[in-house]
Amino acid sequence: MSLTVLAPIAGTVLLLSDVPDEVFAAGIVGAGCAIDPGDEPSVAIAPVAGKVVKVHPHAAVIEAAAERGVLFHLGINTVKLSGEGFDLRVEEKEVVDAGHEMVAWSPADVRAKNLSAISPVIGLQAPPDAIVPLVEPGSVVAAGDKLFTWL
Amino acid sequence: MSKAEKILKALGGNDNIAEMEPCITRLRVQVVDPSKVDEPGLMAAGAFGITSSGTIIQVVVGPEAENLCEDIEDLR
Repeated sequence: MSLTVLAPIAGTVLLLSDVPDEVFAAGIVGAGCAIDPGDEPSVAIAPVAGKVVKVHPHAAVIEAAAERGVLFHLGINTVKLSGEGFDLRVEEKEVVDAGHEMVAWSPADVRAKNLSAISPVIGLQAPPDAIVPLVEPGSVVAAGDKLFTWL
Repeated sequence: MSKAEKILKALGGNDNIAEMEPCITRLRVQVVDPSKVDEPGLMAAGAFGITSSGTIIQVVVGPEAENLCEDIEDLR
């Protein structure tokens, strides 16, 4: 059963290998892509429907089905902000629809702290050949646009 | 041995850990002596992957990182 993963935020689609973090770039967490947002504040939405199995202010994992956890991570090394500037709108174990508002944040504020706002969207432990991009790298997506299919 | 015990051992034991914090899918560990880190041991303990840069070791363990970090802290 394939899973369609939506863009949690608007921005320019990047290859995962372009993410300035070696763990994400090497696909150790799983395959996927990344989104480089504009500066304007936004609310990140759930990329899939499912159960919020893990949530930090800056990142969340939604389990759409067994072995189908989708991670989005707002910015790089943003764990260092300890939640500052992130307004979380969900709780762990909550069941959400795709498109549900997850967390409000400001990429400009992240950049002001000298961190990258590039945000990986990943199929946890997905092998590269299981992820089929639905948009070309370099194209601009809106939040909620279809990003990739997880076969 | 529990997963937490195996990871603690493979990181070179309690004395080798200067600082440890979980992110959503990984443990970021600052070690005292990187040569004491047993990477095959970390993989055998269930890590998906490891990166190291100087004394900073990142152990990718998936969404259980936070719970695992607490379990490891409990052992220290």
